[in-house]
Amino acid sequence: MIYNPFPMRVVSKREEAPGVRTLKLEFVKQEDHEFFKANYRTGMFGLYGIFGEGESTFCVASPETRKEYIECTFRQSGRVTTTLADADAGDIVTFRGPYGNRFPIEEFEGKNLLFIAGGIALPPTRSVIWSCLDQREKYGNVTIVYGARTVADLVYKHELEEWKQRDDVNLVLTVDPGGETPDWQDHVGFVPSILEKVAPSPDNTIAVLCGPPIMIKFTLNALGKLGFSESNVYTTLENRMKCGVGKCGRCNVGSVYICKEGPVFTAAEVSAMPQADL
Amino acid sequence: MSRILLKNKLDDCIAAWRSAGFSVLAPVRRSDLSRFDEVERSTDMALDLVLPERTIKDHFFPQTEPLIKYKIKKHDIDSQEMLPPDMKRVFFGVRPCDASGLAIDDPLFGWDYKDEYWFKRRDNAVIVTIACTASDDFCMCTSVKLDPDSTKGSDVMLRPLQNGNGWQVEALTDRGNALLGPVASFLQEGSEAPAPVASVPVRFDVDRVMEWLADPASFESHFWKEISLRCIGCGSCTFLCPTCHCFDIQDEGDTFSGIRRKNWDSCSFAMFTMHTSGHNPRNTQSTRWRQRIMHKFNYYRGKFGVNSCSGCGRCTRQCPVDMGITETLQAITNLPK
Repeated sequence: MIYNPFPMRVVSKREEAPGVRTLKLEFVKQEDHEFFKANYRTGMFGLYGIFGEGESTFCVASPETRKEYIECTFRQSGRVTTTLADADAGDIVTFRGPYGNRFPIEEFEGKNLLFIAGGIALPPTRSVIWSCLDQREKYGNVTIVYGARTVADLVYKHELEEWKQRDDVNLVLTVDPGGETPDWQDHVGFVPSILEKVAPSPDNTIAVLCGPPIMIKFTLNALGKLGFSESNVYTTLENRMKCGVGKCGRCNVGSVYICKEGPVFTAAEVSAMPQADL
Repeated sequence: MSRILLKNKLDDCIAAWRSAGFSVLAPVRRSDLSRFDEVERSTDMALDLVLPERTIKDHFFPQTEPLIKYKIKKHDIDSQEMLPPDMKRVFFGVRPCDASGLAIDDPLFGWDYKDEYWFKRRDNAVIVTIACTASDDFCMCTSVKLDPDSTKGSDVMLRPLQNGNGWQVEALTDRGNALLGPVASFLQEGSEAPAPVASVPVRFDVDRVMEWLADPASFESHFWKEISLRCIGCGSCTFLCPTCHCFDIQDEGDTFSGIRRKNWDSCSFAMFTMHTSGHNPRNTQSTRWRQRIMHKFNYYRGKFGVNSCSGCGRCTRQCPVDMGITETLQAITNLPK
């Protein structure tokens, strides 16, 4: 059972940014969908594939409050992602999962939420964001800090617009210096320095941070300066995976298997890992 | 008094097992590497080998095995699991280190998600182990707290007789007992003494090794670079290891039909952990060697309560640059406290 994936039908696809696509997938078989609905929680990941090419690991970008479809967002870079990017509505791809642990969002209830994402790491963050926004009354202030290299590289532009319009979400957008367009109205600067400038309060606040390793490193410093404790900062790690279920032996950081004990960790847990293995 | 199997009755046993529907596998010499393979008679067996160059792991976790057969039409996929068939197999003349290796890997393939490909092969296999009366310079079972006559992972234990005529027979499990049923008439009672087991020196202090590895400061020690300079990353030690279980999943075929396979992979290879972005958490041979040692003597123990090493010594015996685990663990043993 464990290696045979679910067939998934492509419902639609969306170009998010140059080379970045989102696929909206529906389950072909009712029982597969029931399994997913019973097991999926925000933060979990899956292996998406096409027979003949292979499988790639990405998060489930859709929230646990919307389980009719699976959305996945990926950068076209290798064999599998290139083939997935070519899939059209009606085509069949595959999904294995959901695997791994999750963001404990019920523990976040009654707290303020600070989401920080860089580049193509918005999708995993977006799954948590919508999981919380769909039950908005349970949470305090919601702040989203999102940055990309250039304006074109921002993903989920239509949802950024939606969050911008909402008065119960504080959206802070930034692009790296040089990445702005003449009509860009938002911040210019790297995520860590913009975060320090916006200076959200650490009081009763949970931070969810996703991004490339270098951004994580500097953003953790910035969060520390702002007074966030490492146990109130959550992040999600990625590593190369083949099985997704703790057997193929490659995704561990030190003794921690990302696929089994992760992919969601607190910053305190990440700090306890051997940093040279990240 | 104990039950005895005389060597001149071995052919009768093989015939009886075969007619009971078992395939009998034993160590055989091949033009390349000696290994376990199916035999029809005792003269096919190479029971004089200290141990075959390849492990019995090959028959439970093959170098390459089909997982899924797929067929794709425009808007439809048919994918079928290709589980191994039911196989009744006797593995005759297994060494205690190889038998232990199977027992060491069972929890890995069984935790949480069960790997049926492993267990389908495990379920109907009977392990008949022969205690070692000879060893070589690479054997190191005693260093990992096993012995030349360890029974771990075995269903039947054979102890060579002093007079060289056969073996004392002891069934250790129900499966072992059941195997002896069809050959009961070929066994006899006897009081011949078993030969002394091989004397295998303790080559490193595994407790000291585990203690040093558990110290977070050791992870970034310069030790790893120095000890692994000779490693050429060929992966032989992992492929010939009875407990190494890392694998890759690859498709053979096209986008219309084909087979998805599970293939051995190795932590020695640079591609093993390479991200699509180009980032590689273990981007040098020394970090990969550290992973191998840490996995065997720290991580695996943390997950499953046992070290992922049964002391067969193949990693050192067959290393093309004469490196291997033993040297590293000896060096750790000798580090100043």
